[in-house]
Amino acid sequence: MQLTGRPSIRNTLTAITAVLIGGSVAHAADNTKLESSLLIYSETDRVKAAEGIVNLNRIFPDGHSLNGRFSFDALTGPSPNGALRSSSFQTFTRPSGTGSYTVSPGEIPMDQTFKDTRISFDGSYSKPLDRLTTVDAGGHLSIEHDYTSLGLNGGLSRDFNRKNTTLSVSSAISHDIVQPIGGAPVALSMMGAPSNGGGEDEFESEGSLGKGKNVLDAVLGLTQVLDRKTLLRFNYSYNYSSGYLNDPYKILSLIQDNSTPNPGEPSGYIYEARPGSRSKQAVFGEIRRYFWGQVIDLSYRYFWDSWGIKSKTVDLHYRIPLLKNHALQPHARWYSQSAADFYHPYLISGNPLPTHASADYRLAPFHALTLGLEYFMTVAPKTHLSISAEYYHQIGDISPPDAFGSLGQYDLFPEMKAIMVRTGLNYDF
Amino acid sequence: MRKRHVFLLLLAAVIFVSLISGCSTIGVQVWDRDILAKPEMEFDSQALDQSIDDHIYFSKEASSGGRSFGGGGCGCN
Repeated sequence: MQLTGRPSIRNTLTAITAVLIGGSVAHAADNTKLESSLLIYSETDRVKAAEGIVNLNRIFPDGHSLNGRFSFDALTGPSPNGALRSSSFQTFTRPSGTGSYTVSPGEIPMDQTFKDTRISFDGSYSKPLDRLTTVDAGGHLSIEHDYTSLGLNGGLSRDFNRKNTTLSVSSAISHDIVQPIGGAPVALSMMGAPSNGGGEDEFESEGSLGKGKNVLDAVLGLTQVLDRKTLLRFNYSYNYSSGYLNDPYKILSLIQDNSTPNPGEPSGYIYEARPGSRSKQAVFGEIRRYFWGQVIDLSYRYFWDSWGIKSKTVDLHYRIPLLKNHALQPHARWYSQSAADFYHPYLISGNPLPTHASADYRLAPFHALTLGLEYFMTVAPKTHLSISAEYYHQIGDISPPDAFGSLGQYDLFPEMKAIMVRTGLNYDF
Repeated sequence: MRKRHVFLLLLAAVIFVSLISGCSTIGVQVWDRDILAKPEMEFDSQALDQSIDDHIYFSKEASSGGRSFGGGGCGCN
């Protein structure tokens, strides 16, 4: 008798059954699955958010499937407005144009009134065309009080090589409408002096229709079974957006230069201006490997866009089985991005204004680290519970070498730390 | 510029054909899929968690896409 390390007859039959049921990498599918998740997100001294999601998936005996998802999230808390710290009090007009808020010396200017809620609906339908080919189509609607997005998507996937290789292509379009509170400010215009009631800001005359943005997405994918325990995936994604891409609530400080009595102190603020289009591209590779009951998943993404931003992301998940029906999954993610071409932490007062400028920290050079732990357990037959906690930390270039005057004493990148706690409950009917 | 695009397209086509022909020699037989059939071996086994993560990072970083669509659909201030 030869000891070949072959799987048992029972395992073999299970696998063959799974393949007959369908799926490129063959998983025995449940008919109906209900998934729910609740997320609590909390940044230190900044935004707090709660998000709930319910997802219902139904697979019919002939292989068709329907998926519906409902999400609700609520956000509140201070959000950096883009202005720099100062050694004196700073007063800003509220986005609504009525009223103002004052920031103490040395503090990061944040709009304390940031508050938003969002609901979104996603639906999709997939259908096998034959034993190897599947098509899907879907749509989404997302509504915030100042933002609406409506989109459609579709995709096609085909298996090759005894279902060891899957090629997929998918695409999506969406039309978004931004309706800033108080109107969309004119790019690079001065923020009005609050002492005058803040009513002198220049706003674009778009009426109640808001500002539009069109987004096109495409993803090409290749999934490959390498061996009995290893899966590999490569994706290329392209995203093109055009229209109103400004953040209407973000401003830049106009700083007094070295020839003035207060170098480094702000003399005023202007609204940001971003280009009217942006193309984003990314290549993504992921490998998942099973060994001795454990599963390790490692992925890498390289991203670049037409705004000059390049980024690298490494993501690692390591699932460790504990007692029967229990598992633990540590998670680590490292991210690093370069700045957008038009990112300026500040502009010099009196100098000619650039065509595009933004002080949004998300367009700054920084890196970020996420560390987390997730616990899985089966609480009852067909009922699975998961609890996870993650720590997220963004670290930027806190004091650029060209900072002058009073700027030299402050961290110009508003460092951010956040805690994310998530619970998930899934039920297989 | 046009020549460069043609060259890149040809290069992509060569890589694509090489990948497909190379992939035909690797993989497993149907009876060797016992481990691959485990739910935790499915790439999208945590799709809901992944979409939540993507939404958070989309709103806090300048990058998106790669794993799936590049995103949109929220103001994310």
